[in-house]
Amino acid sequence: MLTKKRMAMLLLAACMIVSMLAACSSGKSNNSSSSSGSEPSASKSGESPKASDSGGKKDDGKPVEIVYWRHDFKPEIDTLNKLIKTFEDANPGIKVKLVPIPYGDYETKLRTALGAGNPPDIMGIDGPNLAAYAHQDALLPLDAYMDADGDKGDIAPPVLQSLTYDGHIYAAPLNDASIGMFYNKKLFEKNGVPLPSKDPAQAWTWDQVLDAAMKINDPKNKIYGIDPAWGLGIDEGSTFVKMPFIWQGGGEILSPDGTQVKGYLDSPESRKGLEFFSSLYNVHKVAAKELPPEPFETGKVGIIVNGPWAISGIASAHPEFKLGEDWDIAPLWRDAKQVTPNGSWNMGIAKASKHPDEAWKFVNWVTGVEGAKVWYEETKNLPARLSTADAYPELTQYPMNIFVEQSSKFAHPRPVTPAYPVVTTSVSKLFVDLGAANRNLDEALTEAVNTIDKELQKYR
Amino acid sequence: MKSYSSIGRQEERAAVYFILPAVTSLALFTFYPMINAFIISLKEQSLINPVSEFIGFRNYRDLLVDPKFWNSLVHSFHFAIFVIPVQTIIALSMALLVYRKRWLSGLFRTSYFLPVVIAMGVASTLFKLVYNKDYGLLNSILSTFGIPPVAFLSDPSAAMYGIMLLGMWKAAGFFMIVFIAGLNGIPADLYEAAEVDGATRMQQFFRITLPLLRRTMAFVIIITTMDAIKISGPVFIMTGGGPGDSTTTAVYFIYKMAFLQMQLGYGAAAAFLLFVIVMIISIVQLRVLKSDVEY
Repeated sequence: MLTKKRMAMLLLAACMIVSMLAACSSGKSNNSSSSSGSEPSASKSGESPKASDSGGKKDDGKPVEIVYWRHDFKPEIDTLNKLIKTFEDANPGIKVKLVPIPYGDYETKLRTALGAGNPPDIMGIDGPNLAAYAHQDALLPLDAYMDADGDKGDIAPPVLQSLTYDGHIYAAPLNDASIGMFYNKKLFEKNGVPLPSKDPAQAWTWDQVLDAAMKINDPKNKIYGIDPAWGLGIDEGSTFVKMPFIWQGGGEILSPDGTQVKGYLDSPESRKGLEFFSSLYNVHKVAAKELPPEPFETGKVGIIVNGPWAISGIASAHPEFKLGEDWDIAPLWRDAKQVTPNGSWNMGIAKASKHPDEAWKFVNWVTGVEGAKVWYEETKNLPARLSTADAYPELTQYPMNIFVEQSSKFAHPRPVTPAYPVVTTSVSKLFVDLGAANRNLDEALTEAVNTIDKELQKYR
Repeated sequence: MKSYSSIGRQEERAAVYFILPAVTSLALFTFYPMINAFIISLKEQSLINPVSEFIGFRNYRDLLVDPKFWNSLVHSFHFAIFVIPVQTIIALSMALLVYRKRWLSGLFRTSYFLPVVIAMGVASTLFKLVYNKDYGLLNSILSTFGIPPVAFLSDPSAAMYGIMLLGMWKAAGFFMIVFIAGLNGIPADLYEAAEVDGATRMQQFFRITLPLLRRTMAFVIIITTMDAIKISGPVFIMTGGGPGDSTTTAVYFIYKMAFLQMQLGYGAAAAFLLFVIVMIISIVQLRVLKSDVEY
């Protein structure tokens, strides 16, 4: 006999039981870090790269599928599709599924998958995030694979350093990166600005850049002098091009061992960089807080920063805007010091991957000595391997020589610390606060320093 | 309503079976995640590491002294306090214009409702282009009237109003429909009687329409409040929380902590605090707006 009271009891009991299941199982559901990941089986993949049968036909001859997530950038996706085809032809038992994800969503999606315990086998890892992912045990150490057939010695030392955390290598490099000053030649000539030298030894100073920007600046006609650091967003790309201002003034973000921020980010030298950046927006007003899409290619901004990957991007999207005629590349500006950022995207293997050997095969196919050459030819990204740098004479010629020289002489990596996600959002926000909101420098600095310090405490 | 007849008992049993699936899915998709989230908020958990350490209420204590958290709440409430009255008035005005079945009312109802149907992501992307200071449609129109341009995307003091405008444009049509239903529920002979007694239109509105709309009004206000405090779609796409954190609402703060800074425990604690706040406000509103007005 189901009275109202008993009905209520029954439903309440159902709710409570399900809730208790929730409480009990919350710890267990996510340990999918299977034991298969931990032993890189140096014995199996050790002898020869062409031991395709060892990894290929596992259990009942079905092809092994490995999944690769990375951010979407057309020239690189096209190159990867070509490499996948040649890889699958050479390794019939392995299929690679490439999943491009829009850049803005990529980190969130990847982190959610890692947190849920079902990450892709191979993932694109942005250099500075490596420490955080490695610290949280999300990546498979690649030391044994690298020693076996990874040609570790061929990787440029600063790049190898950016892939190493706590003594282990956690990713294989696709390329290195650097940025230069891209300027609109026609706007320079129209406003009587002398063209900058293309010699990295004669990079323009901040004052010269400001001068040029002021001459070109024409807000009435909606033309602005400079976009100093990819607008005022707060993603990792933004941090990549904003941090150099601090370094060029002579400051640092963190202490050399990556554990202290007080006294570094708020040093007088760092302030110089921050003040200069802010002045471009708020004092001299040569930088616009809002820009239309593709402002450089459409002649609305005279000076921007960008890297070698953009050369092919601009050429394919705007063939009417020609390198050498309409625009040109000069070395990145400098102040007390000449510093450029470095470090770029890499390929890492998830600790939870069920097919680490096959995953390494593909990773090595793309990032190994031969793959790196194909990668350079197709994407024109700065090589991470010394053999690639030697194989192409154009790297000693304009425009690539600017990036190559900057990378070897003036490159400064972003801080290496598991706290990097907090460091990057705080530093980015600091710049945006100054640029967009013209916030008081001391206030904004104190907030950034305190936020970063709080996070660093966890790792001291 | 105790029922001792066998038919009654069968009906009651059938009733339980019918609502069991709904209750189960509620328990599975609402209560289970909520309890899980509460447990996570008691831990120092990184987004990408399932192993974490239990730290009790430290996350909550840190949140209560975090100025960024309080700022995000202020922004959410700023949005709510402005949007609730303005949007409700706009929705009611639109409803008053179209609730009677005249020859064009169908066309107008549809066009007022159209913004509701557009996906928030699409609307935000469009408004981002419309709001662009130099090239956007809004400033072009303003300049033809001689009004100086507004920088909704780069002026920290104006940005929140840009989000409000988008939010109201998008949602007013929905509440207009709700009001239309409420208005059509008021019998016409009340108005006729009032006219006979010599009441003006204004008097009719304030003495007949508004009191009889009380239940509808209560629903609209409570739902608008809950949606307004949780506003997040436009912030993600149009402003990214900027410029200078001026549009970082509570939900965006939670996203930033949990997904950008990878501090899942901290973000979950913030989400729980927000939940408690919204629940308290909703309960208070329900009490205050309880209506016994019947005609």
